Amino acid sequence: MQPTTRDSTGSLPSVPTLDDASPFKTMMASFDEAARLLGLDQQEYLVLRKPDREISVSVPLRMDDGTFRVFDGYRVQHNMGLGPFLGPVRLAADLRLEELRALAAWMTWKCAVLGVPFGGAAGGISVDRSALSKAELERVVRRWTASMVGDIAGDRDVLAPEFASDEDIMAWALDTVSEHERSTANPAVTGKPEALGGSAGYLDAVAQGLRIILRLAAARHGLDPSRLDVLIQGSGTVGGNLARILHAEGHRVVGLSDVNTSLYSPDGLDVPQLLAHRATHGHLPAQFPGVELIDPARFLEQPCQVLAPCAVSNALNRKNAERIQASLIIEGAHGPTTPSADAIFARRGIPVVPDILANGGNVVVSYFEWVQNRTGFKWLGEVVDARLRRMMREAWDGVRAVQEKHQCSLRMAAHILAVKRVAEADQARGIYA
Amino acid sequence: MSTGTAAHASKALQDEFNPFLSMAKGFDTAADHLKLDGGIRDVLRMPNRELTVNLPVLMDDGRVKVFTGYRVQHNTLRGPAKGGIRFAPEVNLDEVRALSAWMTWKCSVVNVPFGGGKGGVICDPREMSKNELERLTRRYTVAIMDILGPDRDVPAPDMNTNEQTMAWIMDTYSMHMRRTTTAVVTGKPLNIGGSKGRKEATGRGVMITANEALKMAGLRPEDTRVVVQGAGNVGGLGALLMHREGYRVVSLSDMYGFIHNPQGLDVPAVLAHLGSTKRLEGYREADYQATTPGKVPQLELDCELLVPAATENQITSLNADRIKARVIVEGANGPTTGVASDILDGRGIIVVPDILANAGGVTVSYFEWVQDRMGYFWTEEIVNSRLEQIMVQSFGAVRATAEQYGVSLRTGAYILAIDRVASVYKMRGLSA
Repeated sequence: MQPTTRDSTGSLPSVPTLDDASPFKTMMASFDEAARLLGLDQQEYLVLRKPDREISVSVPLRMDDGTFRVFDGYRVQHNMGLGPFLGPVRLAADLRLEELRALAAWMTWKCAVLGVPFGGAAGGISVDRSALSKAELERVVRRWTASMVGDIAGDRDVLAPEFASDEDIMAWALDTVSEHERSTANPAVTGKPEALGGSAGYLDAVAQGLRIILRLAAARHGLDPSRLDVLIQGSGTVGGNLARILHAEGHRVVGLSDVNTSLYSPDGLDVPQLLAHRATHGHLPAQFPGVELIDPARFLEQPCQVLAPCAVSNALNRKNAERIQASLIIEGAHGPTTPSADAIFARRGIPVVPDILANGGNVVVSYFEWVQNRTGFKWLGEVVDARLRRMMREAWDGVRAVQEKHQCSLRMAAHILAVKRVAEADQARGIYA
Repeated sequence: MSTGTAAHASKALQDEFNPFLSMAKGFDTAADHLKLDGGIRDVLRMPNRELTVNLPVLMDDGRVKVFTGYRVQHNTLRGPAKGGIRFAPEVNLDEVRALSAWMTWKCSVVNVPFGGGKGGVICDPREMSKNELERLTRRYTVAIMDILGPDRDVPAPDMNTNEQTMAWIMDTYSMHMRRTTTAVVTGKPLNIGGSKGRKEATGRGVMITANEALKMAGLRPEDTRVVVQGAGNVGGLGALLMHREGYRVVSLSDMYGFIHNPQGLDVPAVLAHLGSTKRLEGYREADYQATTPGKVPQLELDCELLVPAATENQITSLNADRIKARVIVEGANGPTTGVASDILDGRGIIVVPDILANAGGVTVSYFEWVQDRMGYFWTEEIVNSRLEQIMVQSFGAVRATAEQYGVSLRTGAYILAIDRVASVYKMRGLSA
């Protein structure tokens, strides 16, 4: 796998962004290492490294001004040993097939760690969504979906949103599949609006999952899990919701940032006020009573017990890893820790809870949505919460057990667990025909 | 069928040892009580559909060998057909037919929404490589695929088939249908749609029905000495669960012999010994007696509860008089012959019949199918508590039916099962 590079957009995609340091390539290499540690047969692992299927389509779009443009559309289905494929639909001008291959594989591992019965997929359209009108966006999504009809189905390949807020896109995709199939195809698409069979708890699922894992990790590493000082990078769907939830639970959010502003107070921030300001103005306030404005380059190095990077890849790197003061790091973003920073944290004895385990709440709730659509029975919010807690805890316990056995980092343990589960399913099923 | 204790059996004994005649007798007795008319009786007696397939399989040595296989759907009035697939040299259509009917009654007794089915392939798995078995399984699956499906016919493991076989069936079906279809088969590995609690489900069902039977007999677990014939998934795990409930398990057996300690066995220790040495012989805290062909003295030991959980035709006209237990819970299929059953009834011994006592397995198969259909998986506690609920409820319904008709639990179970199927038949009517 040769992932291409891609600039970070600053907003948080539901799957990793590939950037200059190529954390993705490193991540895939560490799966190779996990397979080696597991003693997995090399030939079997080769099967796992290649996607099962790759679909390429042309996506013609009539623009609002009457002209036509043609985009590239893809769906890569990596491995279906554990169940139907599940993966995002990404809309990006510089979208590349190589990148989707890597994302699809990564989804396979993520589903396996979280214990949801899916294999991984990733798809997308090579279009700059910000340059499209809403009507154009709808047409391009519908056309892409129509090209994939037959493949997109509840027990074959299930779509997930790239951003938690993409519910319009998911609704159009669902409608297109349903019209073509001449039956209501709710389980084929997740991240839908609640009115169309979406699940309670989808919007802040990543943050809820982080909170669950954070409590378990804090207790394991000698912190008081009911009263933590947490520094959060990012205040969007993940960081903002995490701050809100932790503050409401009685923890102290000592730092919070967005793209331009980094706020810090050792006594804890007034999170509701800050988020209200952000909701009104679109950004955090540049000043706030009793709050210190921190140089963004030094923000992550402020004193705290728990550091939650929830914004960009490579936030923790060779340059700042030595100065991080947290005693626990939990990855809300995708690939926020570079391999060199990982090595430094390992030497300094700072545990890092890896993204693949910590930020999978949305994948679990996508799964819940699919279950609810299959049974046609909607779960109450409390039921979603309780079941999310159970699944995240089981994922944590599974990773911890592997860590004890192999005496490795949580990240490597998560990778080993993922490869093991997928390989076991593949071995049980055998090679067809 | 193997009739180990009947090496020189007379015609009468041969008939007695034909478990399907025993079952037919159970059916007829129950049908008489229900005053079923001839038409319905014939419908319920004959399988809906029988499929015979011949399966060319490439053997490892390059030759092609043709195997014959069957799938029989006895009745699908209450839901899709459900029943195991066995691989064995002695498989034949008559046996598969009879076993499929058995499944209809078993599913009906515990009120899971399935009809009965059974399948088999004539082959000797001991002589075949894993690759050959995989090719045979996949070819058989393709050959019967037209009548399989989560809403049509859902196979399960049986003699010489296991969760690996089920995984191959699931994979073959899913690949052909081009969609993940875990609910087409049960008894799968956990990671591809299996259910928690399935392995010990039959043993757990035995324990639960034993608890209920003790209440009928006015016994308490701590006053109950248990003799268990068998030490595998049913007997061994059943004994372990009863031990935990406070029963005094005094004897366990394997194919080589049995161990006995009137003071009670430390069942976990016995199973650990069995796990490491593959035999019960050599377990220190008990007497050991090797198996003698044609004799089953273990069944005549002093005890309150006897659990035959090994194979069919163990309690017969030859030993039924000498059974000392007050309660028998049939963990195996057909461990008691029809003649012996009458003798035990005459002696006032409470017999919990196989179609009730060992239905824990099919009940958790049902749970697996439900979980696969929704894609959401239950915790082990939920599986176990729902199993208990169904087994206790079924026992109560069988007991009430037996009391209502003034018959044994066995006849009561058949009456209940047949009545449920017959009433659905009346409601649905004849299609087309």
